[in-house]
Amino acid sequence: MVAVSPQLVKYNKAMKEEKNLFFEILSDPGNQIAERYGIKHKMPEDLIKIYRQFGLKVDEHNGDDSWTLPMPARLIIDQDGIIRYAEINPDYTERPEPEDTLTALRDITG
Amino acid sequence: MSLKEKIDKLKEGFKTKAPRDAQEIIHRSTEDLKNSGIMDHVVKVGDKAPDFTLKNTADQDVSLYTLLGDGPVVLTFYRGKW
Repeated sequence: MVAVSPQLVKYNKAMKEEKNLFFEILSDPGNQIAERYGIKHKMPEDLIKIYRQFGLKVDEHNGDDSWTLPMPARLIIDQDGIIRYAEINPDYTERPEPEDTLTALRDITG
Repeated sequence: MSLKEKIDKLKEGFKTKAPRDAQEIIHRSTEDLKNSGIMDHVVKVGDKAPDFTLKNTADQDVSLYTLLGDGPVVLTFYRGKW
């Protein structure tokens, strides 16, 4: 299990420590890898304004002012590098149930 | 409680607290993203996963295909904690 976020290493480190996470969180500067997975998007100007009003410093956390984000995605990749399960949603408030991913993982590993 | 139930609770809280105009912009942005065609170009089941090497929280390089040497990988893309 590995997580990828566009945040700078120091912010990923803070999150990992705060939440006591056992898995790696990798930093994807500028969402370059997210782009290769087809999930990078740019936030529209009016939304950026709202985030600024709310004090959500995406630019500071990501170390750039591109205001790009990945769509939340959960994938299972087998040992041949083939994607066997893909849950990607343009609505960031919808996330797959962890239990469903575990079931899929059990099916794949046999 | 399922993850969905937890998220639904958060959504309810946001609905009662956040300004209406902000909620409308957030909602419309999500709809625009859905309708942008982005989903036609995302990776799909059966695709070869692009390899990458990225820094972990200890500033060490981690490569996907090295991890795959140990077994299948659950890969999750996360927006961030702002």
